[in-house]
Amino acid sequence: MRITRSMARSMVGAAIMLLLAVTAMAEGKRWVSSEGTTLKSEASATSENVADLNVGTELTVVESGGRWLKVRTAGGKEGWVYAGRVSETPPTAEVAGDDGLFGGSMQKSQINTAKADSARSIRGLSPEATKYAKDRGTPEVYKKALDTVLARKVSAKELKAFLKEGKIGEYAQVNGGGK
Amino acid sequence: MRSFIYALIALTLTAAAASAGFFDEVQKFTKPDSKESQYLSGATQLLSSSKEVDYKTERVIGESLALEGLQRFGNPVKNEPLQQYVNLVGNAVAGNSKRATIPYQFAVLDSQVQNAFAVPGGVIFVSRALVSILEDESELAAVLAHEIGHVAGKHALKSTRRAQFFQGVGTITAASVGGDKGKKFASAIGDMQAVLFDKGLDKDMEYEADLAAMESTYRTGYDPSAMIRVLQKLQRIEASSTNKKGSWFSTHPPLDERIARLQNQLQKYPDYSSLAVVRERFSKHAITGK
Repeated sequence: MRITRSMARSMVGAAIMLLLAVTAMAEGKRWVSSEGTTLKSEASATSENVADLNVGTELTVVESGGRWLKVRTAGGKEGWVYAGRVSETPPTAEVAGDDGLFGGSMQKSQINTAKADSARSIRGLSPEATKYAKDRGTPEVYKKALDTVLARKVSAKELKAFLKEGKIGEYAQVNGGGK
Repeated sequence: MRSFIYALIALTLTAAAASAGFFDEVQKFTKPDSKESQYLSGATQLLSSSKEVDYKTERVIGESLALEGLQRFGNPVKNEPLQQYVNLVGNAVAGNSKRATIPYQFAVLDSQVQNAFAVPGGVIFVSRALVSILEDESELAAVLAHEIGHVAGKHALKSTRRAQFFQGVGTITAASVGGDKGKKFASAIGDMQAVLFDKGLDKDMEYEADLAAMESTYRTGYDPSAMIRVLQKLQRIEASSTNKKGSWFSTHPPLDERIARLQNQLQKYPDYSSLAVVRERFSKHAITGK
């Protein structure tokens, strides 16, 4: 079969399209969706920290290595991130956007992450719930018990040590997690 | 909704501009007593009533419900290492949930009914009876992650027919929980109690929380099939149980349907069996059901 110039042109076009599609697939987008995510220099939790990543940060996947992904930030930093800490869609917002009662978009979530951070300072029973308890005649023993529950907190450092001890997630051995 | 209203206003303005002077019509909207101004004010009210309950309000609702929950199911067990341990497991999976940016607290309650429940805002309770039937940390993580799924989906808030009351409240204050408003607040809390503790949430919300549990345990690094193992344990208990009141199987959809859906979902995680179950550490915190 003789290949005409126009046929050749279409084939080159198709090849370019295919190449672009493959590149787009390989360079997939991911979003940081877990608190305390760190960009690492290698695919290992014990490797050096490159940067701390906030929830909602957009990443471009450069290379996939099983449970670890090599990624690039918008600022051009490259490193490895544990696959469990990112998602294929942006994390949902803290408060609603324009689309209804409980929906929302990531742009809103940026603001609300800060909002929720301030909520972290909430410790113990709120004055409003205390008033509710008083009006309802809730026995003191339950109020005190809930106050203790609400005052309990886990620091990021404690959480990392806990996961490490249990060989969980990014702290797992190569062939799996803690048994 | 908002874009629809804007479009409607724009359409009205365009039509008005075509039939009369455009600026004359705009002026009508700015006169407080005009019919047009009232339309606009109605539209604004409609928009503000669809505002979401803010986090502080959600938290107050949750704390009030938690006070009711403790009275019904019992106070937390007096075992600080266990309570701390449950908080570590819970926070590990919460950090990989769909709502990772709010604070979560967990407590094991001194209750002999196999149950767990979450109140809005992130306070989660699990009964000692339910913990006692679990065999490893991944199973505890699955139960807590299921409840986190309800908090993330705001399921309790969506379940009350008095949700309108909370939306109208805006940011809750001590004044909103006192006086006349207080009566409405207490009644809305009563409504949510009935859903959470007696009737149970909508079955689709339960399925959603099951799938969310599998996803966040997997993302944390726990074996996601743990959720199935927990439900299978409950299935065995359910078969031999005479009193099912208030348990996870009385307030949730049929266990076989939940298990079937999860087994289908498990195909998404081909490497699941290589993930952490952490039996030894869990057994150090083992408690009896009574």
